[in-house]
Amino acid sequence: MSKTPILYSRARIPYGTWGSSYFPNWQSSPLAEVNIGQFAGEAMNRILGLRKVAKSELDYLIIGSTIPWHWKFWNAPMVAACLGQRVPGYHLEQACATGLQAVTAAAAQVETGSSDVVGVLTFDRTSDSPAGIFPERRSYRRTEVIADVWDNFGFDPSFGNSMIASAGNTARKYKIARQEVDELTALRYEQYFGAKRSGFLDRVLVPLDVLNLQGRSMGVVSEDVGVREISLATLRAMRELDTCVTSGTQTHAADGMACLLVTDEVKAKQLSARPEIEITLVGKREVRTLPAMMPEAPSLAVAKLLEQTGLKMSDMAVIKNHNPFAVNDAIFAKMLEFDWRKMNNTGSSLVWGHPQGPTLTRIIIEALEEAVDLGGGYVLVFGCAAGDVGIAAILKVAEGVK
Amino acid sequence: MKFLRQPTLNTLGIESTLGFFKNGRLPYTAESLVDSIFGPAGNRGSLVISGANGIVGAGKAMQLGSRLAPYGVTIVGLDFPGAADGIGRQYPGLQRAFGEEGANRIMSNFVRLSYDGKALPAALKQFNPKFLLEAIPEILPVKRAHYELFRRSFPEIEIRSVTSGFPSSELGVGVAHPSFPHEINKVWETIEEKPTDITRLLWALGMVPVPTTDNWSFILDVLFCGVTLAASRYHNATNMPYWKIDKYVRRLLGPNPFRAHDAIGAKGANFLTWSCLHHLAKQYGELFEPTPDLDERMATGQDWYPLNHFRPLVNWSMAAEEEKEFNVWMLGAILQMSSLLLHEKRGHLSHINAMGELCAQFRRGVLSWIRELGADESRRIVEAYHKLHPEAAKSCWYPESFSALESVEGQQLYVNAEHDGNVGVITIGRESYNSDVDAELNRAIDWLAAQGIRRVILTGDFHLATQLVGADTSDFFPALENRDRGFEISRNWSRTARRLDSDFETSVGFIGGKRCLGGFLELMMHCHYVVAAEDAQVGMPEVTLPVIPGMEGCHWAFRKTDASHWPKLIQLLMSGTMISASQAQGWLLDYAGSLEESLSVAWKLVMGEAGGIPRRQTERNALTIPVQTNGAGANAGVSDDARRAMMETVRKSCACTIEEAIDVQAKMSADFMSSELCRRGKIGQEFGKVMSV
Repeated sequence: MSKTPILYSRARIPYGTWGSSYFPNWQSSPLAEVNIGQFAGEAMNRILGLRKVAKSELDYLIIGSTIPWHWKFWNAPMVAACLGQRVPGYHLEQACATGLQAVTAAAAQVETGSSDVVGVLTFDRTSDSPAGIFPERRSYRRTEVIADVWDNFGFDPSFGNSMIASAGNTARKYKIARQEVDELTALRYEQYFGAKRSGFLDRVLVPLDVLNLQGRSMGVVSEDVGVREISLATLRAMRELDTCVTSGTQTHAADGMACLLVTDEVKAKQLSARPEIEITLVGKREVRTLPAMMPEAPSLAVAKLLEQTGLKMSDMAVIKNHNPFAVNDAIFAKMLEFDWRKMNNTGSSLVWGHPQGPTLTRIIIEALEEAVDLGGGYVLVFGCAAGDVGIAAILKVAEGVK
Repeated sequence: MKFLRQPTLNTLGIESTLGFFKNGRLPYTAESLVDSIFGPAGNRGSLVISGANGIVGAGKAMQLGSRLAPYGVTIVGLDFPGAADGIGRQYPGLQRAFGEEGANRIMSNFVRLSYDGKALPAALKQFNPKFLLEAIPEILPVKRAHYELFRRSFPEIEIRSVTSGFPSSELGVGVAHPSFPHEINKVWETIEEKPTDITRLLWALGMVPVPTTDNWSFILDVLFCGVTLAASRYHNATNMPYWKIDKYVRRLLGPNPFRAHDAIGAKGANFLTWSCLHHLAKQYGELFEPTPDLDERMATGQDWYPLNHFRPLVNWSMAAEEEKEFNVWMLGAILQMSSLLLHEKRGHLSHINAMGELCAQFRRGVLSWIRELGADESRRIVEAYHKLHPEAAKSCWYPESFSALESVEGQQLYVNAEHDGNVGVITIGRESYNSDVDAELNRAIDWLAAQGIRRVILTGDFHLATQLVGADTSDFFPALENRDRGFEISRNWSRTARRLDSDFETSVGFIGGKRCLGGFLELMMHCHYVVAAEDAQVGMPEVTLPVIPGMEGCHWAFRKTDASHWPKLIQLLMSGTMISASQAQGWLLDYAGSLEESLSVAWKLVMGEAGGIPRRQTERNALTIPVQTNGAGANAGVSDDARRAMMETVRKSCACTIEEAIDVQAKMSADFMSSELCRRGKIGQEFGKVMSV
């Protein structure tokens, strides 16, 4: 590996102290019934318990979510109360980039010495989208009601396009073929189910028993509910909604949470069950591309990040992205001249769904676990976000550190 | 007189229970003790309760007020002018217990006075204070100044503090430390140099004084605060939420400590628990050091359970290995704390054991638990606990103290026996019958037999058991899932009961308390005579649970009475309702009268001198019971299926010889306990609530 300066020299992610819920398809699990902020707090406490990390270790909490939830005004302190640890913190939001942005914010918090152990807790519930009622004097009713999830997906207020239209636009720009996208999607499904069958996902995802008001179980969320194996033939038979976009080659709305810790070197060794593994954040980059070209933004961000860090794609041990549209991967492969078969080895959000806030957090966790399996190396994670934004980060997993 | 072990009544200065029967009266009466403490009628002084609006003060004002009202003792409640009204909040409870008229009568004997904490109100003097029960905040200098204030104005006044942890030597007054809930819990831990009339008055008023030694904190508080502390430590070690820990603690031990704090009132309870542990930690070291959560709760008074709108969403569970570790966290701490209680000889072993059961929701006494575990296993658990919590090993660990449970005192925690060379008395000090009581009762019978005693009276102990309410239904939990366990319990307990019939020339069951129900009534039935105080209530509530009596209640009484009385027995069994002892005289009981008369009659019967009361014979052959229920129990909210099962058991257990009947009844009782009907009933629900976490 090349000697690349790391962005945050002090901050560390303690291996194995993380976890994610499964991401059930929207409206299909008990998570559709909960206050997701409360659920996330309680779930993080449970995950820390399973990882043998006392919640009292936390001294700060950064939460990330994109969809309003009840008592959101009370922000991270409310979620921390549900976690059972009275710590300060704040809420961070950057659409689908939230998870990665929250991790880098936590690293900055540690780097500056403001906190010692920062919890990153990201979550969202797309089910039963909350609706906002806004004064709008340009409307004849003087009031507009916005269903937060679907009305935002369908309309970029800056330029008037929908998300799906941006995918079609970009596919046309890069002359992506439908056949390639279907094949790529079929591979992504194979990768996900391969990881699932191997038990890999069991190290990342935590089954959670969700209770009703009476304290009785509403069910254990122990599956990415709604994800089923799908053949290339089936994908090919699907109706095209826009260029290279079918219901099979785009992700689906989901509910869930994911969390990890960021701390310093000494504490990371204390908290981790495998203190010899060191995880650092090497670099991060964001770009904003032209209107309605969102799927190319992540690739542009990666290119900038490689330039910034002096690293090459060939240096990467693990490459994993948030790919709400399969065309994202095809465009990335074309722009970076990289074989899409060599990334997203344990699955990706195209397959297991997209609850927004926690999506990139789960991607980071899976990518880090994969890197550990490989004996360490650089980990590239990236994704797109609303507003034609791309975000990318490189982390470094080193094993055998004493 | 010879005693199997020292009677708990000795701690009150009362020599023996046998004397009650021999003399035909109790050694102390409330009338004489009220005269002694408050002065004679016509010149009665008053009881002053300071801090009367607090949880303890108001509760004890009601409890003592209702008991002392018949003797014309005025209760003066003293508190700050701005104190929130705690007395008025008690009125609905009084109405429920005594009716509106009774509640008004009690309240009319209650005087409220305000004071500023510096000078006593002038009006107090006219009430001639004789006894001060101090229930003001737990601040030692404030308490001492408070006593001084009273002593200056009333030099002769008796003072007791309800303190939650200060020793008498620090306070400079005696202690009468009550247990929650204060309106109804009858237990007081008392500290005095020797038993006084104050403590005896509590006893004579039907309460349960438990003399303890003068140490920091009380037996109850060590146990209850200790279990809270242990649960809090487990929370800190694992993150498991308090509400879930409560469920596991309840399954393991019985109490749910965090819920209890919220129910009592977290603001006050958190402070008292913290205060108790804080002082214990100063005296005894880190075993008792409050956790940061307790520090925070003390400061904020916040509840342990989440607010209603944050009812828990994410469940927790434990794998078998994790639960083993949880058990070590909990039991290890409690066992080590118990070693301190034993080492310091904080009280009579039966008292130490009973405090957890009577006041802290422990399913069984902590000493009976240690006894079952065995001293070696108990030590091993504490040592395992020290690996999880090494600071606890630094002090306050007395492994040898568990050997005390190998003594007779330790083996007879619930049942004692005594005799004068001719007549024996077996006393039962637990209100519900369980396997511990059963084993101890057998040992008591064995001891009397070995002493050559052929005449015996079986009775409650006039101390820890103020009533005998029947079987401890938590003992039935295993039987809900395993029929053989039900059969084993039923047959073993029945065999014990039969010894009262077969092992003595004369046996007399004596019911002196408020109630004798279910399994205890079945036990009494096996005596050759049953004598009761006339206002005692008797009954067989099994059908309401529902469960089928396991100690031969479905046939034994039928064999001892004329067929003309069978409809009454059937009514008793099928309705589950209670009747007074007077109503049961002549067919279920042999005599019912005033307490004094009953004591005398029991003595005469056991001595073979009560010629007017014939000894009823027990029919050993089969009986034919008419297959009809005569509508009995139909309106009592009892399920028809349960009534049918009960009638079937009556019919079948009577329709065989007495030798065969023990197995018939045990089989039918066990079959029913493992049935869906029983599992859906109260025992099944309780089982689900306690055991399914």
